[in-house]
Amino acid sequence: MEKSLDPRVNRLDLQNAAGQPVAQDENWPTWEVFHQKKRGEHHIHVGIVHAADEQLALLFAKEQYGRRLKCANIWVIKSSNVFSLGYDDEDMFETTPDKIYREATGYKVRDKINAFKKSNKTIV
Amino acid sequence: MYGGGFFIEPGKQEANAVADDPIKLAEFQAKIDRGDKIEAQDWMPADYRKQLIRMIEQHAHSEIMGALPEGTWITRAPNFKRKLALIAKVQDEIGHGQLLYAAAETLGKSREAMINDMLSGKSKYSNVFNYPAKTWADVTVIGFLIDAAAIVNQVINAKGSYGPYCRALERICYEESFHLKQGHDAFIDLATGTPKQRAMLQDALNRWWPPIMHFFGPPDKASIHTEKLMRWKVKLASNDDMRQQFLDSYVPKIQELGLTLPDPNLKKNEATGKWEYTEPDWDLFFRVINGEGPCNKERIDVRAWAEEHGRWVRHALMRKTEKTIIPFA
Amino acid sequence: MQHIKELLTKMADDDLIIGHRNSEWTGLGPILEEDISFSSMAQDKIGHALGLYTILNTELKETDPDKFAFHRKETEFKCCHLVELPIGEYDFSVIRHFLFDHAEKLRYESLQSSSFEPLAKFAKKIHGEIKYHIFHADSWISRLGNANEESKSRMQSALNYTLPYAFSIFEPGEFEDRLIAEKVFIGEKALQVQWLEKITPIIEAAGLKITTVKNPTEHYGGRKGLKPLIDEMTEVVRFDETANW
Repeated sequence: MEKSLDPRVNRLDLQNAAGQPVAQDENWPTWEVFHQKKRGEHHIHVGIVHAADEQLALLFAKEQYGRRLKCANIWVIKSSNVFSLGYDDEDMFETTPDKIYREATGYKVRDKINAFKKSNKTIV
Repeated sequence: MYGGGFFIEPGKQEANAVADDPIKLAEFQAKIDRGDKIEAQDWMPADYRKQLIRMIEQHAHSEIMGALPEGTWITRAPNFKRKLALIAKVQDEIGHGQLLYAAAETLGKSREAMINDMLSGKSKYSNVFNYPAKTWADVTVIGFLIDAAAIVNQVINAKGSYGPYCRALERICYEESFHLKQGHDAFIDLATGTPKQRAMLQDALNRWWPPIMHFFGPPDKASIHTEKLMRWKVKLASNDDMRQQFLDSYVPKIQELGLTLPDPNLKKNEATGKWEYTEPDWDLFFRVINGEGPCNKERIDVRAWAEEHGRWVRHALMRKTEKTIIPFA
Repeated sequence: MQHIKELLTKMADDDLIIGHRNSEWTGLGPILEEDISFSSMAQDKIGHALGLYTILNTELKETDPDKFAFHRKETEFKCCHLVELPIGEYDFSVIRHFLFDHAEKLRYESLQSSSFEPLAKFAKKIHGEIKYHIFHADSWISRLGNANEESKSRMQSALNYTLPYAFSIFEPGEFEDRLIAEKVFIGEKALQVQWLEKITPIIEAAGLKITTVKNPTEHYGGRKGLKPLIDEMTEVVRFDETANW
């Protein structure tokens, strides 16, 4: 066996390194991770971890999603507990921006006030 | 409404290959042309799914393998700053692997299947990691120049069409900028240091230059296949274009330190704005990618060791009734 | 100040060497997510070492951390035998992490009220990191101890092997009495008692047996296999001692 340049590797027994293939589901189920950058902000979805249970999921998420980003809090939710609309239902949202009667910008009060002032209408 | 879907079992993927519905295909292309991202639950052509899995999976394997040449020097880093930075960088590579596997998982291939394909040699990883890191100077060359090349690739691919891959790349690009900086910093310390350090660095540079020139792959053959991948924003720039970008940004940074590169033909043609160089040996590239590199066997053996020696841990906590769901995003 | 210097040096050397050993798992862990977590803790330990060497430098006139850590002979180190042992299999490394980190937690908790102000401040600063290390260790011990035949038997063997070495953490230094009298530190003896009290129920809840260690001083003296480790750690430094890296 040729010596490795990596002293760590030389301390491993690489003979017969190859073993059985990794079995299906051996890497554990996935959990969706939600990260809160600062108190007061929303938790945002940032990715997944593979973990055997919720405690390990939190343990792993803390490092994979909190080792650099500023972090106040983390949630994990099992992927099998997430439900979503399909993207083929995206059309249900199509007319949302048209409904300006629900938006402050849909009301031009300044225009009306100016028109009234211009007309010199007097209030009886 | 969706709950998560189950992974396609290896070997069963090709079974129901159906011709893509032309109406769906047109809508799909329109989305991409508009600049919309394709998400995991969108309809997508079978070939789009297949090509993306292959590309993202290869990228993931490259990160995991990339941890090994630099990992060679973790226990020998010469001071606290270098030691901590190197462990953090190698850790990031593992983290990137995890993020990229996750992106590929959204397309229906399980992490276990991907790991097995890497160990069997069926799936490839970046050739550059089949070379040995002989000295500390090699660590600085890898940290500076190979991370630089990876960044060129990643910044371009971050504008691709597949949402989960783009999101992974955004985070990866952010962390890579630290890798590049710490690599460049360590590189400069050697270049501006003692004669022994300079000599070690120049030697490392001479050895790594050919694999670095191989990094972006051979010149693209014009083909319908390439054209389709470009139209789908799976491939966003030609290999040669990326290589040119890399040379333009980094050759001056090497030369400004008074270091040389082992290619007498390497120079920028001021008239065309393009870099000229000795054409790399692409036969060698293919021989290495197919197993003949100096470190291919060791890299695979080390990953096989990790999987084998970790098996008892994974098995201990596996619940036989629990099947893994495809991640949503 | 020699008594404080000795305490800080021993603590820093322990942190550096165990951090160094644990960093060897980076890229080789049993599953990606755990690889990432274990690596973070290795960095934390090395970071704690750096913090303590920095106090030695700025408050106690010792040489700067890089010089002190990377230019001493192995005979000048004060670390315990436990931390220099090779990483072995994951069962050993997790058990060592559990045993050492519980001692660390109790040590740093008591040091938060140390009469030596810089040390008290440092202990308060890092308590969050140590909290994560304990969360990690306890999670793994309870899961692997209780999981299946193979994991149980591996963890029990690793515990039987490692526990005698763990007592070397508490080898009293030359100036133990002075440290206690001046309220710098509660002393290794007291710490060891607290540690055993703390870990015993956790080990038992993990389905493992804690066997009585007949000779707790057996592995005192340390530095028995340290030379190859220090030679490796300083290989690049020794390539050119005059250089800046």
